[in-house]
Amino acid sequence: MKNFKYIPAESLEKASQKKDDSVLMAGGTDLLGMIKDDLLTPETVINLKSLKELKNIRYNAGKGLEIGALATITELAENSDVQKRFPVLVQTCKEIASPQLRNVGTVGGNLCQRPRCWYYRGEFNCLRKGGDTCFAVDGENKFHCVVGGGPCYIVHPSDLAVSLLALDASLEIFSNGKLKTVPIDDFFILPEQNETKENILEPGEIVTKIIVPEIPAGSKCAFIKFKERASWDFAVVSLGILLNTNGSTIKNGRIVFGGVAPRPWIDTALNTKLTGAATDEKNLKSLADSALLEAEPMSKNDYKIILVRNLLKQALIDLSKN
Amino acid sequence: MANTKFIKSEFFFEEDVRESVAEVPVDKHQPWPENEKLKVVGKEIPRIDGYDKTSGTALYTFDINLPHMAHAKILRSVWPHARIKSIDTTQAENLPGVLAVITHKNIPEIKWFEDSFLFDTKIRYEGEEIAGIAAETEEIAEKALKLIKIEVEELDFTVDPGQAMKETAPKIHEGGNIVGGNPFTYERGNFEEGIKNADAIIEETYSTQVVVHNPTEPHCSVANWDGDKLTVWDSTQAIFTVRGVVSRALNIPENNVRVIKKYMGGGFGSKLAGGKYTVIAALLAKKTGRPVRLTLDRREMNLAVGNRPDSVQSLKLGAKKDGTLTAMSHYAYGSSGAYQSGAGCSWPFRTVYQCPNVKVEEYTVYINAGPGRPFRAPGHVQGTFAMDSAIDLLAGRINMDPLEFRLKNYAEKDQVYNIPYTSKKLREAYEAGAKAIGWEKRNKQPGVGTGRYKTGIGMGTQIWWGGGGPPAYVTLKLNRDYSVEVLAGSQDLGTGTYTFVAQVASEVLEIPMERISVILGDTGVVPYGPPSGGSVTSPSISPAVRDAAEQMKQKLMKAAAAVLSLKENDLVYKNGTVSSKSDPSKSIFLSDIMGKINEPVLVTTGAREANPEGYMIQTFGAQFADVEVDTLTGKVRVKKIVAAHDIGRVLNRTLLENQFHGGIIQGIGFALMEERIIDGNTGKVLTTNLHDYKLPLITDMPEIEVIIVSEGDPMISNTGVKGIGEPAHIPTAAAIANAIFNATGVQIKSTPMTPDKVLMALSQNS
Repeated sequence: MKNFKYIPAESLEKASQKKDDSVLMAGGTDLLGMIKDDLLTPETVINLKSLKELKNIRYNAGKGLEIGALATITELAENSDVQKRFPVLVQTCKEIASPQLRNVGTVGGNLCQRPRCWYYRGEFNCLRKGGDTCFAVDGENKFHCVVGGGPCYIVHPSDLAVSLLALDASLEIFSNGKLKTVPIDDFFILPEQNETKENILEPGEIVTKIIVPEIPAGSKCAFIKFKERASWDFAVVSLGILLNTNGSTIKNGRIVFGGVAPRPWIDTALNTKLTGAATDEKNLKSLADSALLEAEPMSKNDYKIILVRNLLKQALIDLSKN
Repeated sequence: MANTKFIKSEFFFEEDVRESVAEVPVDKHQPWPENEKLKVVGKEIPRIDGYDKTSGTALYTFDINLPHMAHAKILRSVWPHARIKSIDTTQAENLPGVLAVITHKNIPEIKWFEDSFLFDTKIRYEGEEIAGIAAETEEIAEKALKLIKIEVEELDFTVDPGQAMKETAPKIHEGGNIVGGNPFTYERGNFEEGIKNADAIIEETYSTQVVVHNPTEPHCSVANWDGDKLTVWDSTQAIFTVRGVVSRALNIPENNVRVIKKYMGGGFGSKLAGGKYTVIAALLAKKTGRPVRLTLDRREMNLAVGNRPDSVQSLKLGAKKDGTLTAMSHYAYGSSGAYQSGAGCSWPFRTVYQCPNVKVEEYTVYINAGPGRPFRAPGHVQGTFAMDSAIDLLAGRINMDPLEFRLKNYAEKDQVYNIPYTSKKLREAYEAGAKAIGWEKRNKQPGVGTGRYKTGIGMGTQIWWGGGGPPAYVTLKLNRDYSVEVLAGSQDLGTGTYTFVAQVASEVLEIPMERISVILGDTGVVPYGPPSGGSVTSPSISPAVRDAAEQMKQKLMKAAAAVLSLKENDLVYKNGTVSSKSDPSKSIFLSDIMGKINEPVLVTTGAREANPEGYMIQTFGAQFADVEVDTLTGKVRVKKIVAAHDIGRVLNRTLLENQFHGGIIQGIGFALMEERIIDGNTGKVLTTNLHDYKLPLITDMPEIEVIIVSEGDPMISNTGVKGIGEPAHIPTAAAIANAIFNATGVQIKSTPMTPDKVLMALSQNS
């Protein structure tokens, strides 16, 4: 580990004017590990924790939920408005890491965390680190992506990103002294756009707030995370679903997959089939079986497609009940 | 010490049968009655070091902090196979705070594994030691590592044992990649003939992964010189082994090396050998003239301090319609790593089930990866997984209940040596375990359940030596104030040695546990005892403790007879007081006896007696698993494990359950999630942290029920104790595998049985 200077952020403005060799720290649960592993070698670590205004969680009836980027995962899960109106977010929070990590890790940090690919994290000069090879292509790719990959084949590690995308959230970003709002769908990028980062943030840009619109009346939501171990594990695959059914048909809905792509993934073909689809078990099964048709699994991860379809089928059936 | 004699003795340690001549006591003590009639032994007594550990006052090796202590790190190879052309340490040496740098260039040649050295110019695996650095702080030492410039010639490597066995594979040692040049072979009867007589035959290949010990406490040594005398604090399972290794490496006599280990956070076999890091710490301490602490980090622990070798096992079994096994063959290979270790796994196969015609051929293969080390029942875990999976398959072929099949082929004698067992209560274990798990609830037809979650019940059989034996000595010191110190040539790995030693002394001398202290893990102080591996500690040490304590009691009786002018046979000992049977008014407390004979401290030395000649000592058991398989995801949840075992006498019920819990947790890890993964293209290990190397967590734990069907084995020793550390771990994976088979009707033939494998197997089956 390289030694670094550690300073609290004086203001959002000052923090965003950071030098190239400085990094911004939210909870630090990922960042500090990366510094320890020499994946990052900053001169200065600027802790955003001092920006108390970024910790608020506020609910406005009709408008929805505003989550300060520095709210911890635990704070989000324990907020009474969130528990009442956005139980799917509570469900998601409880699947993240471990209680200790949730007490420190923040919502903004969760969205901006770096991938867990063992080549990226290990002593491999891979594409994402500026090298010229993705070692997963003909290597150990059991946990890598089945869709949206190339030239790098990571999966995005955030659980909250999957749920928030299903809820059609937006991110408020402090950029060049101003605030801008970006749909979360436009926030995450694919390696074909840039294989060294996972989102649109430019140096000095800071996610300040996550805005979640009201869940449309009558809609049901679910977050399903599949992991190999019962706790403290990243998603092998995950599903974020919002579904509005009308007796025997789906009025509208949105399905997002995690663990299958370098970003939270919206299978467009699948999602366009939702509106008007019948909710009988046979049809939901065929709907689920049409997920990830464009996937191109690698040598060791074709199971992910079966896994996603199985879990989706079950989730659609469960959500369509009553 | 009482009268002793020298006898021929057999001793099983890990996979080795060691025949030796051993000094043993002539007089045998009466066997103890069953635990129910004992006062301290066998009871649920909390560990005596429990408070120190939970309060944080217990000193582990890392806690040793000496004045002026320097901190060391090891430079390790990033290449799987290479030849060092040059090393330049100038920059590292010039970094402020760096105190010493050692490489092959500036220390004497120290022989290590086979044809290699402490620092070798040929690198055979990623993680191999290249240099050591001592600095004012660990951080400086780490920085300095990066300043060492190394030029290498990279060599072709091989990290797959199947590939490494081929003629064309890169050679890791001059003699080729098959350890010893030849396979281990074993044969009895006529296998081909046996197959001809079979009504049903199965032929399957099973494979198991490399797993890494990953004890909670890292490997750590602190070295301090005082003139020519070296003291090493070391996190080790074998203080005397470490002393020997350090003395040979540094070419100094053993009396100049003192190895100390008080408390330890697990080893599981990875701390059975003397480590290079210990010698490196001693060399750096010498060079700097300061004490040196060297601690490995998690990455180093996953690269360089041992693992359980993998295995590919091809089995062919034949049986008659009535279930009689007629023939069994086992062809296997497994990776040793870059240096010699044992990958053999056929012992259970050769001996658990009655079969006249058995053939075994197994290869241990060098690959460019960290060398294996014994890991909690080496060979048996992987061997039992394959063997018991095949047994269930074969039983299914002839529509026979797998438990009935096992009972049909119950071996009354050891089949390899053709000798009787001192005791074998496997039948009782089968019966008790089956009852506790509800064996009758299992699917009569595997996989018949419907719905998302399918449940099943399966079992596995356990065999392991665990009888211990001589030499093992104990010194007991009785103080005039009615307090005791017991010094045993052993070490407590966290298993509870401190506690059971005190219990045995307390039982015999009828002195309360609070007045007994136990000193272990210090070669400068304790008499010799065996390394703590092979489940030999309690069966070797507890009889020596009893011997020392019984001698002490006899000494007190003799002295009391003299003091009271009474005949010895008229005296009884109770709670520290010796009284006359004929005239109870005549009695004397031990403090007064010792006062009269002017002895402030009485000393006795006890020894482990010999094992009986012509008998095989084994532990036995069966574990039963109740599992639930999520057919949508392939995830297996172990709901319950019943462990029913014959392990001789229980010394402490609480510690016994701890051992079972640990063994079963590790068994679940092996069965379902742990795996060292190497990237085949670069030869580098991918799972060097505890995120990628998945250990089971508390939420993965099932309900565990432990049943002991034995009450002491009087033939083996005066306490009748057998070891339990390894038996607890052996059959868990096999039981889980068979439960998955019973739940789904699909056999998963490769561990870890991760969701991807289970899901793919289910989807190919449907």
